[in-house]
Amino acid sequence: MSDDQKANSRRRVLGPLAGLAVRAATATLRPFAGVAEVAAEAGLSLERRAVDRVLESTELERVVVEAINSTHLQTALKRALESDGAAQLIDSLFDSGLIDRFLERLLASESLWRMIDEIAGSPAVTAAISQQGLGFADEIGDQVRSRSRKADDWVERAARRLIGRHPRMLPAEPDAST
Amino acid sequence: MSGLPAASAGEAPTGTAVDDDLRYVGLATRVVSFVVDAALITLVDILVGVGAALILFLLHISNELKTILAVVGAVAYITGSILYFVIFWCTTGQTPGARMLQIRVVSAGRDRVKPRWAVVRCVGVVLASLPLFAGFVPILFDGRRRGFQDWLAHTAVVEAPGPSIAEVSRAKKREIYEASHQRPPAMPE
Repeated sequence: MSDDQKANSRRRVLGPLAGLAVRAATATLRPFAGVAEVAAEAGLSLERRAVDRVLESTELERVVVEAINSTHLQTALKRALESDGAAQLIDSLFDSGLIDRFLERLLASESLWRMIDEIAGSPAVTAAISQQGLGFADEIGDQVRSRSRKADDWVERAARRLIGRHPRMLPAEPDAST
Repeated sequence: MSGLPAASAGEAPTGTAVDDDLRYVGLATRVVSFVVDAALITLVDILVGVGAALILFLLHISNELKTILAVVGAVAYITGSILYFVIFWCTTGQTPGARMLQIRVVSAGRDRVKPRWAVVRCVGVVLASLPLFAGFVPILFDGRRRGFQDWLAHTAVVEAPGPSIAEVSRAKKREIYEASHQRPPAMPE
């Protein structure tokens, strides 16, 4: 009897036995798998409810506020921002080209220009621009006023010198702090 | 002659451009103010003149009528210029140029200038300009910085510091904002 024939005869005997064993194991473990599935679903539901309860409670707000007000956290943040690592992080962010890509996309978006149009046309912005224009006119007016007053005195002094009169005694400028 | 304070009317070496709370304005400031007013008048006149010329061009009127209209236009120009100064001096004492430079024309009693004296002052300005502007020279030497026209109309030009146009606009906006954000009074319990 050759080796091949021996192997074939073993397969014929062991194959059905192995199939039988797998079916038996599956049938035995089926209830346990069902229990595990139900348990996992119950766990998930419990987790969701816990998260919902935390979000609805004032406790989360208190924790967040206390965390922000915490001097330890603020010190840690300050140290982290002052560290070389933060600088490197910023450098690598820019080196990655992510910012460039972000800006390209932002400039290409219609919404951005629509938003800019809205802001530019808003009454608050137009009022601010007109105020700035008036402020500029005011500044020019102030300059003209102060220079013309100086020119008054200068012309008077020159005219009085020309005819040999004493210059006029002008009062001191009022103190700006008063 | 003038009812203005006489504390510094003389030509003493210690003369001052200030009487009590009044600070008299010198020649340079008044020239700048006049230049601003002249620019405004000229701008308005150019606009009116161009409009009138366009209408005359479209109407095809005779040369005689054109001459008459030119005379009417010249009279209107002179009258308008006089009215500009007279009305501003009588009402606020400040022409737009004077408003910009924060100066004011006041009468002898520091009040508003009466219409007849405003007309006299206007004539005085013309008379002062005729002899090569010699009528304005006294401004340089007079204790209260008065020119011929001021002497003639009993007026003086004084400083009139006030809020600027931007400050007035800001104050108005603040008032509107505060009025719109004012809370209604609480109801009694």
